Amino acid sequence: MNINVTHRNGETAPFDADRINRSIELACRGLTDPISKVTQIATETQLALYDGVTTEELDEATINSALQNVKDDPEYEIAATRLLLKTVYKRVLGDYETENEAELTRLHKEHFKKYVAQNIADGLFDERMANFDLDALADALDLSRDHLFKYSGISTLLNRYATKDTQQKPAETPQYFFMRVAMGLSYNEKNPTEQAIKFYDKMSRLEYIAGGSTNISAGTARPALSNCFLLEIHDDIDHIAQSISDIIKISKSTGGIGASITKLRASGSPLSSNNTTSSGPTPFAKIIDTAIRAIQRGGKKKGALCFYMENWHLDFDDYVDWRHNAGDDYLRMRTANTAVWMSDEFMNRVHNDQDWYMFDPKEVPDLNELYGPAFSKRYQEYIELAESGKMRTFKKVPAREQYRKILVALQTTSHPWLTWKDTVNMRALNNNTGTIHMSNLCTEICLPQDKDNIAVCNLASVNLTAHIKGKEVDWQRLEETVRTGVRHLDNLIDINELPIPQAAKSDRENRAIGLGMMGFADVIEKLGFSYDSQEAYDFTDRIFEFMSYMAIDESANLAQERGSYAHFEGSAWSKGMVPIDSLKVLVEQRGDTIDVDLESKHKGLNWDILRRKVQQGMRNATLMAVAPNANIGLVAGTTPGIDPRFAQVFSRNKISGKYLDINTNLVDDLKERGLWEKVRNQIIQFQGDIEPIAEIPQDLKDVYKTSFSTSPYAYIEVASRAQKWVDQALSRNMYLETRDINEIMNIYSTAWKKGVKTTYYLHMKPRHTAEQSTISVNKRASLGKSGFAGLRSAAGASSTPSATPVPSPVGEQSAQKDFVCPVDPQERLQCDSCQ
Amino acid sequence: MLVGKASPEDYNLHPAQYPWARELYDQAIANTWYPHEIPLKEDLEDFENMTEEERHAVKFIMAFFNPAELIVNRSLALGVYPYLKSAECHLYLVKQMWEEANHCVAFEYVLETFPFDRETIYNVHMETPSMKAKEDFINKYMIRMTETNLDIETPEGKKDFIRNLVATNVVMEGVWFYSGFMVMLSFRQRNKLRNFASMINWVLRDESLHLKFGINLILSVLEENQELLTEDFAKEIRDIIIEGVDREVAYNKDLFPKGILGLNADYVNQYVQHIADRRLEELGLEPHYNVTNPAKWMSTATDVYELVNFFEQQNTNYEVNANASGE
Repeated sequence: MNINVTHRNGETAPFDADRINRSIELACRGLTDPISKVTQIATETQLALYDGVTTEELDEATINSALQNVKDDPEYEIAATRLLLKTVYKRVLGDYETENEAELTRLHKEHFKKYVAQNIADGLFDERMANFDLDALADALDLSRDHLFKYSGISTLLNRYATKDTQQKPAETPQYFFMRVAMGLSYNEKNPTEQAIKFYDKMSRLEYIAGGSTNISAGTARPALSNCFLLEIHDDIDHIAQSISDIIKISKSTGGIGASITKLRASGSPLSSNNTTSSGPTPFAKIIDTAIRAIQRGGKKKGALCFYMENWHLDFDDYVDWRHNAGDDYLRMRTANTAVWMSDEFMNRVHNDQDWYMFDPKEVPDLNELYGPAFSKRYQEYIELAESGKMRTFKKVPAREQYRKILVALQTTSHPWLTWKDTVNMRALNNNTGTIHMSNLCTEICLPQDKDNIAVCNLASVNLTAHIKGKEVDWQRLEETVRTGVRHLDNLIDINELPIPQAAKSDRENRAIGLGMMGFADVIEKLGFSYDSQEAYDFTDRIFEFMSYMAIDESANLAQERGSYAHFEGSAWSKGMVPIDSLKVLVEQRGDTIDVDLESKHKGLNWDILRRKVQQGMRNATLMAVAPNANIGLVAGTTPGIDPRFAQVFSRNKISGKYLDINTNLVDDLKERGLWEKVRNQIIQFQGDIEPIAEIPQDLKDVYKTSFSTSPYAYIEVASRAQKWVDQALSRNMYLETRDINEIMNIYSTAWKKGVKTTYYLHMKPRHTAEQSTISVNKRASLGKSGFAGLRSAAGASSTPSATPVPSPVGEQSAQKDFVCPVDPQERLQCDSCQ
Repeated sequence: MLVGKASPEDYNLHPAQYPWARELYDQAIANTWYPHEIPLKEDLEDFENMTEEERHAVKFIMAFFNPAELIVNRSLALGVYPYLKSAECHLYLVKQMWEEANHCVAFEYVLETFPFDRETIYNVHMETPSMKAKEDFINKYMIRMTETNLDIETPEGKKDFIRNLVATNVVMEGVWFYSGFMVMLSFRQRNKLRNFASMINWVLRDESLHLKFGINLILSVLEENQELLTEDFAKEIRDIIIEGVDREVAYNKDLFPKGILGLNADYVNQYVQHIADRRLEELGLEPHYNVTNPAKWMSTATDVYELVNFFEQQNTNYEVNANASGE
């Protein structure tokens, strides 16, 4: 077939194989066996072309050809990454004709000034972006750091975070991106250039990554830099209407939302204006569900929100059904998530097999404000009123029945997420301004809110993987990163532009930040531990204690330099309390039900000195929160947050594409032992679980478990150890193979007992998945049946005419022969795939 | 016995004779999904930006699938269900038939949402010779079960039963549908039609179960009726599958007259041949084509667990029946 290529200017020219091959060669430079890789990518690229293909599609074809071979050799990802980087260099720097790295570096630096100036001139960047020594910044750009990225990292960064041109194509290189963010947080520094370079160096080395909203908006003319918003919806029609408007505006500025609807009166509750009754929370929630769908956050991402409701609400049964896939669509939420905000009182009633009472919030208006013993006392009073006939309405169910219902819904719809209000409130150091009524979209934020305050949190995450040298943590570097991250987040608040006055006020007055951490599972593997080991638990303790200490210390330093946050007086900080002290409060209040070790595992941190310093002043109401990092974890190329390795190989279905994720730690270990090529197909066949693979030794199986083969109690233990030191909370994703509801009830009760504040999404192991395509599949063999093969073995020989192989364009590519199971039943007994 | 004339004891679910069919039924119930769970707005934007040839491929494939799901149903209702004696197989078949209906409605939901000339698309399967040839092929075996049906108790009647099942389940669902899924999922690999691909994930999950049932049914009927195991009949079954692959060649040419980025008619043909070999081997026949799988990227698309960012994408992994009793 004659293939012509359509160029950007519309002209066509015959496909030039040499030119493509040359660029593939460059992308494969330095890889193992580059010639065979080049041949493979080049051959498959040509197969993918058609007459009239555009130059842009040609680039896409080479990248996809490299990517589809990653399953056989992860080094192909390096080639794909380089090919992708080249496309962005060309787009941003113009068509350059150099294969010389030094020359490219020069071009990249040279263009930087123009990039900043042009964007300011176009009104896309903040005018303050000009107040830097741009030559010094250009000089600090280090193009070689682009090689730190994995393919999914670059792709996510370009797709989600990079500024776009009018055709929606990325208009900045990754290093420009980091510099833009760094500059966008340094306007108010005494020496903005110097500080921007410090931020840039940390981020571009992937030591920490800013939160998504900051990545999108820092440095731009509209710096809406906050990720998380938490708002209460009050029980009056004006406030409901205003909340819907607020939610739309917040969604537009890329924020994720937590919204408590506990205060909305129940359906059937009388309206004071006339003798009619309320429709309850569900129809109002449906408006919000539809509204967030209308908003495209920062381009392609839908609005995102999580509702919170306390489970004593009369309509709680309806709430649990909100996410079911069947039923009246008007009563179902298709986009919004749901979480349940549970009390110790409820958990104790479950434990003691007592009844649980549900009320109309209209009749129990103070209940939503109370927590701990005060809640229990008031709840008991309402029960007495109800039982003596003094309430308009109430419902009574065995507490265990409701708990079971919650967990059945969780198993089948992944909602509602379980969160514990008393643990959150009793451990809070920042709720001197009011009760915390909810967590946020990702269940890691614990901030108070009321009618006049929409809580705001500002996020960034430390990449632990970038702080490992050999098998050791580089503590000094980690300390620097934590301190830099805290400064970055504190700077953010004075630059931040928020769409709602109630949010802006709350942000300024509380200066709440949430520094998180990612790469936990990655590091655990690199240290040679399994996620569910004592070593991993103790490591969690140490690392979070250290990070927490440094973050608090840095905030106290900033308070000395810049002053305390407005509501510092009266906070638990001002009484010299640190997170571990609040855990002691919880232990005292709840009694003997908390099963967690209070000891410090990190000798050498003097908390008493820090307590005294904290008492003098804190710059920020909160310091740490471990977000899920679903996107920035990809940018950093590590495991997100404290999540386990989902599987040794799996795919990520994301807005920026569907990526294959192979655990390169495992691949390296397998290659070292000469096993990789023997087992790579089986790793896909068993969907990333290496346990059934006979060739892999036990010591590797012990370390490399999947999220479903790891004990679920390990997720609880890791979270509870981290939670000791983290003043806000952690997005604790859960993964379960068991579908036994009693077992699941026990797992979640354990989380509560161990002082975990919140849990997040529940991933159930699928029992049935689609038939695999690239793996040899034979259902007859696995059923142990013979079909027509019985005929052949009976006849003693194959009597079917032997097949004539059809020549194949792909067949000649290389040794990419699929493994074929033997046909003879006796031989099959020897075949691993057929066993 | 699986196949034969119904007798009163066939209405007894217990004791189960074929527990595998009951297990498939339970799993199928857990897999229940609805088309309205998939939002398509973003895909509409993708569609606007696709090339003419890409849009043609999407429309062509929808034009095939929408009626094809109903043809499968007709074949199951008239050519399979009446001749099966097992109560648990009947349970499974009705769930499968609901799923085929659901798929048909799902494709219709897409057809009605996308900016298509719907009249034209609904007629494509009757007006395009290559597509009509595929339907004729299925109908040929179905008619023998419905209009000129032989006594199911005789070997010839049982052979007709198997022929129809091979045509519908193995060729149509197991080969043609599989190649269609590959084509539809290929768009997601290029970051287009991602929500539509989520729907295909579900359809493929269902179809994988249909195929498990169909293959097991054929093998079990053969096992129970050894008189069917003859060289001639083996060759005939083999030829049915090969003919199915042959009919795909002209169809794929119409699907991709010029080819699009990453896919062309030859590529799809090779995939069809690769999958057909798999089906031959599953029936105990020797592979015919011995070609490699050109779509290596399917390992990412379907072969491993998928971790969904549920803010961005419908999680298609959930199952709707919880073990609520648990005790």
